[in-house]
Amino acid sequence: MKYLKFKILGILCIVFALGSCDQDILNVSPTDQISDDTVWEDPALIDLYLADIYRRMNHGLREVKLSSLTDDSQFIHGYGTIEIVQGISSPSNIGAWNRGDLEQYRWGHLYSAIRQTNIVLANIDEANVSDDLKEQVKGEAHFLRAFFYSNLVRNYGGVPIIENVYALSDDMLVARNTFEESVNFVVAEADRAAELLELEPRDMGRATRGAALALKSRILTHAASDLFADPIGGSDLNGYTSGSQDARHQAAKDAAQAVMDLGVYELFNRHPDDPATNYEQIFIVNEDHEEVIMNRYFLNSRDWADGYLPHQFNGPNGYRGWAGNTPLQSLVDAYEVDDGSEFDWGNPAHAAAPYENRDPRFYASILYDGAPWVEPPSFREPYDASGVIQTFEHVTVGGEEIPGVDTRNGPIEDWNGGYSRYYLRKFMDPTLPPQTTQETPWPVFRYAEVLLNYAEASIALGDEGDAHTALNQIRSRAGMPDITDTGQALVERYQNERRVELFGEDHRYFDIRRWKIAPQKYHDAEGIRITAEATDRRDRSTYSNYEYELFTVQSRNWADSHYFAPIPNDEINRNDQLVQNPGY
Amino acid sequence: MANFLQTKTYNNYRINVMNILKYTLMVLMIGTLLPAAMAQEVDNQILTLHTQKVDVTESESLDRGELLNKALDKIEEEYNVSFLYEDYLVEARKLNSELTFSDDFYHVLNTVMAGHPLKLKHLEARTFGIVRDKEIEEPLLDETITGRVTDNQGEPLPGVNITIKGTSRGTSTMVDGRYELLVPTLEDTLIFSFVGFQPQEVPIDGRTEVDVALTPQTYSGEELIVVGYGTQTRETLSGSVSSVSGRRMEKIPVTNMANSLSGQLPGIVTVNQSGEPGADGAVIRIRGEHTLNNKNPLVVIDGVPNRAGGLDRLNPRDIENISILKDASAAIYGSQAANGVILITTKRGSEGAPRFTLDVNQGFNQPTRIPEMADAATYMTMLNEIDNYAGSGDRYSQAEIDCHRNQEDPWLCPDTDWFGDALKPMSFQTRTDMSVSGGSETIRYYLSFGGLTEDGYYENSATRYNEYGFRSNIDGQLSDNITLSFDLLGRLEDRNYPTESAGATFRMLMRGKPNEPGFWPNGLPAPDIENGTNPVVTGTDATGYDDDERYYFQSNVKLKVEVPAIEGLAFEGTGSYDKDFRQQKRWQTPWTLYALDGFDSNGDPVFNESLVPNSDASLQQWSEQGSNTLLNVVGTYQQDLGDHSYSALLGAERQTFSNSGFWAFRRFFPSTQIDQLGVGGEDQQNLGGGGRRGNFPNEGARMNFFTRLNYNFQSKYLLEFVGRYDGSYIFPEENRFGFFPSVSAGWRLSQESWFRDATADFFDELKLRTSWGQTGNDRIDEWQFLSTYQFGGGYIFNGTASQSIYPGRTPNPDVTWEVANQFDVGVEASIFDNQLSLEVDYFNYLREDILWWRNASVPETAGLSLPRENIGEVKSWGFDGSISWNQQVNSDFLLNIALNGGYATNEIQYWDEPPGAPEWQQSTGRPMTIDGNNNDFGLMYNVIGVFNDQNDVDSYPSWPGARPGDLIFEDVNGDGTINADDRIRTDRTGVPKWNGGLNISGQYKAFDFVIFFQGAAGASQWVQTQSGDFGNYFKRFADERWTPDNPDASGPRAFQREEEYWISQRNTYFYMNTDYIRLKNMEIGYNAPASITDRVGLDRLRIYANGFNLLTFSDFWMDPEARNSSGSYYPQKRVVNLGLSLSF
Repeated sequence: MKYLKFKILGILCIVFALGSCDQDILNVSPTDQISDDTVWEDPALIDLYLADIYRRMNHGLREVKLSSLTDDSQFIHGYGTIEIVQGISSPSNIGAWNRGDLEQYRWGHLYSAIRQTNIVLANIDEANVSDDLKEQVKGEAHFLRAFFYSNLVRNYGGVPIIENVYALSDDMLVARNTFEESVNFVVAEADRAAELLELEPRDMGRATRGAALALKSRILTHAASDLFADPIGGSDLNGYTSGSQDARHQAAKDAAQAVMDLGVYELFNRHPDDPATNYEQIFIVNEDHEEVIMNRYFLNSRDWADGYLPHQFNGPNGYRGWAGNTPLQSLVDAYEVDDGSEFDWGNPAHAAAPYENRDPRFYASILYDGAPWVEPPSFREPYDASGVIQTFEHVTVGGEEIPGVDTRNGPIEDWNGGYSRYYLRKFMDPTLPPQTTQETPWPVFRYAEVLLNYAEASIALGDEGDAHTALNQIRSRAGMPDITDTGQALVERYQNERRVELFGEDHRYFDIRRWKIAPQKYHDAEGIRITAEATDRRDRSTYSNYEYELFTVQSRNWADSHYFAPIPNDEINRNDQLVQNPGY
Repeated sequence: MANFLQTKTYNNYRINVMNILKYTLMVLMIGTLLPAAMAQEVDNQILTLHTQKVDVTESESLDRGELLNKALDKIEEEYNVSFLYEDYLVEARKLNSELTFSDDFYHVLNTVMAGHPLKLKHLEARTFGIVRDKEIEEPLLDETITGRVTDNQGEPLPGVNITIKGTSRGTSTMVDGRYELLVPTLEDTLIFSFVGFQPQEVPIDGRTEVDVALTPQTYSGEELIVVGYGTQTRETLSGSVSSVSGRRMEKIPVTNMANSLSGQLPGIVTVNQSGEPGADGAVIRIRGEHTLNNKNPLVVIDGVPNRAGGLDRLNPRDIENISILKDASAAIYGSQAANGVILITTKRGSEGAPRFTLDVNQGFNQPTRIPEMADAATYMTMLNEIDNYAGSGDRYSQAEIDCHRNQEDPWLCPDTDWFGDALKPMSFQTRTDMSVSGGSETIRYYLSFGGLTEDGYYENSATRYNEYGFRSNIDGQLSDNITLSFDLLGRLEDRNYPTESAGATFRMLMRGKPNEPGFWPNGLPAPDIENGTNPVVTGTDATGYDDDERYYFQSNVKLKVEVPAIEGLAFEGTGSYDKDFRQQKRWQTPWTLYALDGFDSNGDPVFNESLVPNSDASLQQWSEQGSNTLLNVVGTYQQDLGDHSYSALLGAERQTFSNSGFWAFRRFFPSTQIDQLGVGGEDQQNLGGGGRRGNFPNEGARMNFFTRLNYNFQSKYLLEFVGRYDGSYIFPEENRFGFFPSVSAGWRLSQESWFRDATADFFDELKLRTSWGQTGNDRIDEWQFLSTYQFGGGYIFNGTASQSIYPGRTPNPDVTWEVANQFDVGVEASIFDNQLSLEVDYFNYLREDILWWRNASVPETAGLSLPRENIGEVKSWGFDGSISWNQQVNSDFLLNIALNGGYATNEIQYWDEPPGAPEWQQSTGRPMTIDGNNNDFGLMYNVIGVFNDQNDVDSYPSWPGARPGDLIFEDVNGDGTINADDRIRTDRTGVPKWNGGLNISGQYKAFDFVIFFQGAAGASQWVQTQSGDFGNYFKRFADERWTPDNPDASGPRAFQREEEYWISQRNTYFYMNTDYIRLKNMEIGYNAPASITDRVGLDRLRIYANGFNLLTFSDFWMDPEARNSSGSYYPQKRVVNLGLSLSF
């Protein structure tokens, strides 16, 4: 017995002692991460890597839309948009630029994305994959890098051009390149991508030669604008100090022409008899249709993961939407009357029925009082029998003044009611019930933009015929009469056309700046107050005696500093070589 | 020489429950050794002693009544003889006549023995034995005394020494506190003594049953303190360690141990952030916060660090002791010790008859504080004000407001108390615990089983926390020197919740508009506030269920060998294997809400029903598991060489752990009756897996070697060295090991005779001690040294989702430990017979190499995702201490008052701070206000008032667009504009700087009581409610608000959510001071007297009432421990509990 005990003891001692001394146990490997070396050996992993860079392009259907930093819409929950529209953002309070929703225009995010493209380009030549794949991957990486830089240039002006992959020990303090150098870099990257990429995408959703050339058209159109011909503050960081603006317009025109010459894109026109539906469907059809140069796609199962819930973010409160980006009166008034004349509140016929006989795109883009919308869900039915937007101040029924369902006095989630009394319709699939997910894609580049770029350059170069041709393709597709104006009138018609056609697609923020019309556009935002009488509040056909009154919904201001976004204070503090944008 | 048979050890063995082995040995000695010695007797014959005459001083004599053994000593001295006897035979015997020393040795002997039932046996030359003479009737018969010894709470105390006064004769108590003792007379006096308790003299006074309750000492040098990998006596301890017994924990009727610690120990800070059953833990900090990184202390349960489940759900009745290592003596835990270490020891069995205990508790819970909200009329008035400020007219007419104010129509004009509608006045918790302990010479056991159930606050609550657990701690004595222990714990934690989180429900309660109903007058639930959430419904099971079951199995096997050949040398090997599982199932079914759709022709309401939030049922299921293996071997050697005592400990340990999990989601179930994953719809399925949720590494390993060396001289000068060589998987191979040493020294002035003389024995104990050392913190993100790719958000190509990967971070190949340099100096004193004791420590720590991002100096243009680098430095300092007073006021009333508390603060010495910030905003040199994700909460505008009128607005620099009723931000830099540079930096965070507890306990006859106040100061909480159109206001805001009619108000005007600059921009007005004092715990108990308990066959019967968070005094109107800015959380609990405790 005694010996047995000692045996047990001996064995246990050995187990404990030996078990305690084997250092190999500390060599644990991560189970949820992939080691560096394996990525460049495996084509599948390289594609996963690229996928993450694509993701960094973000999209314009997140909760805060760029349009709400312009005269097109108002973001009703604030979220830093007020600082921008009131011209009070500053390097220490950059407002909505801090939001993930708009990260594709944010300094830090873009440089982080650029680093990822730099890593691809630094490693791909040594990767153990086929030459064909290398070409493709490089093409996509150059495209992506150009895309990120183009957003930097558009938002900040000239920026540091960084092509190397920094290690921790490197000197990382760099100065800004000039505006011209930055634009040229984007152009060179886009050209390089166009050379490497095929016309047909490897997969639906990837960059193509067309996308690269459309990007080039976008940046050259931007660079040719007036804002940069006579830079604010005279700095070459914020515009050109030499060269000819005409030459830049010509380059822009050529770039647009190059896309047109590819011959693979045309305007979507599958419903020629119903231009409103046709316009709506451009954004709803979930595929690379004829007008798509590049789309970002979504899946229902990944709604939150992609920050993509258009119905939820923008739907009227009466449908339990959050009504985030609400169109403003200024945008509504920009939609012409369907005979091609300007809408005018001074015109009694217009003022009496403001929502009748408007540009078909109005009906596809904006929900207004009386607009038919999706089938009313059960919680809405007590107030609305057939799914019609109610943004009236009140309707008088039997002496009782009843507020509209889709307002801040309505019975359903009134705190989400909009102020302007308009809601977003564009991008929202009308066949789907509210609060559901949808899969409508985000148009990164579409052919209409290229035509508009072409028209803009043509106008500037005096080639008004070319401009008319391009513009009227878009006009006729929209069911609107041709534009025949010339001179300054043409410029204004063009600018209005671009605003209406590309509403909500992240263009106007840059357009009103580069055209130098922003100071006129950042005035107090207006909405509309509507009253009516009815015999049955649920039945829209019983409504009559509408009255309309415009009123201010948000005070706004302009500051010249806001032509360019502020470089964040912390970043300036980190890098003494950086020069802040003028006015901050 | 005289008393060599006397059981000398008898008196010196200080026994407590921690020291069962020695107790056993003592029993063995009494039982076996003594009779064996007596067997050496040769015979019964009295031999003649031929003595030579000796010179005796005539004057030498002893009076009648002198003690016999004194006489025998004298005889041995005078006549050069030896007596051998058992002490008890002669103890307390007295001379029956005067004894004069003379030549006649036998005469002398006869005088001594006269009248006593003793006889002499001549053993050898000049040596006599004294034995009992059975033929002589004892004139004073030995009496048998029985009784029971308990502490002042009625808990039996095993191992208490009982001696008869004036003798060394005695016994000690058994496991159930009972004893039996032979005494010479019933007039004698008994002395009861026990480590940690004041010795007590009790005259027998003719009784045969003597029950005694002992009073704890405030200071006991012999108390054993649990330190890492062993215990030390308090008197020779030179580190800073606080401890509290499990028994104290039992008195606090909470279901989460973390909350019991609050205020109990100097130097510990707890913040209880939620009362939700099953999720009511507390943030625990030891001596405040010392690093920007992970600030959690290490929890070691029965020798095993980082056990799954932590300390939260330990059964307090299983706890023997909780110690916290506050200073560098924690270096024995090396790389995880820098934030302090909490050591928990569970109960073990001791030899004796089985003792069963049963505790039954019934508790009543309610929120400590429900914020008072504005009523309907006030709320509506405020919305009108907002409209007026925006330039519109009133949205509510005065008639409408009055309708709500007077509740003229229950259907249309409610004045809803949302909290009142959703919560019941009282919810229940019950707890039942059983245990049995005892043992024989070869096996000792402690077995317990406990179960509890705790209900939620909601009416018809779906929230319920159930817990069932057992513990079995068994020690087997394989031989005299080998002990094998096997411990096993099993626990099921079953959390049941509604599918809507408590945060969501309470958020909606805060938002609930008082002019809208929660229920219709007929009891049907009214429409939701948002997304289907009507909080009067979402606390119930109408929404489906969320059942989260966690299973824990924890085992320890320990083998202890005392090497027989070398005294003082022992080896101990421990193996521990823990496994835990978590199964969670969330089944969400649509629920029905009723919108009022007018009234029919009879005037009856017509409702519109809707199913929310979706019309289909969905199911999400998680499955997770983890395991943790620890092996160690520890050798100890201890030796006393005269005045020098040495001990050494050397050990090696390894620990490995792994965790994994997966989850799945499906919706569009065909029926709400089928909650099985297999039958959901095909659309929108989703699943995932890999790591486990929460802060669990997927796999990890640590290994280390440690030592502790102690030396003391006469227990007067104390020295200790602790070292640990620690290896962690978190670091690259070349930096994987770190060495963490500490030294400490103590000087017991009270042991110096010159000091005792100089202070006239004023101090029973006075010890100065100090320590310095380095400990580490390795709790940082793993794999910082590896260049790896992590999985990103994915992208959609060709209509299918692709995974995506990205470089997680730039590798930092040099990543290494965070090192804490810890200095501590303390004093311990005890005076007035140990009635008053005092302990105070000052500490000063410097945490270096804090792993932090260089994000303030690396420009974003680099595009780097920065790794953490060892760049930060934080200094922290403070003091903590305790003072306690014990007094036996009279024989019926015992009182103990103990106050403990501490102050702790910190200052960033270095981190990567943006260099361009104005001086007053810089955080370097100021306390940390940054959370672990690098969010800085410390910057805010200083509010200096409210703009009373436009004149005010014009005369102060103001925020663009400011108007009367807005808060005035101070123009700190005086440049005439208010911008980000005007923010100031606060030094207050959510963790209080001052913490303390006042414990008043006592016993009056059969009653005992505890009154415990706890308080904290120096913390603040940012408040930002979702008020306005969105939801209701705190009543306080409503009452204090500015209006055009009340321009001198102390608070700002009515506001919409965060639309005003003074809401969206953090400022001092909404940064609320949360200082508080609360009656944290109180207990009153009654111990039934033996006359009752004996009749029903019980050892003990105690009934008691206790409570938790009974009263709160604070200016803050939510619970002062709330750490939620908008009140969107499940409030802390107040518990009143009744209990019954039996043992037999």
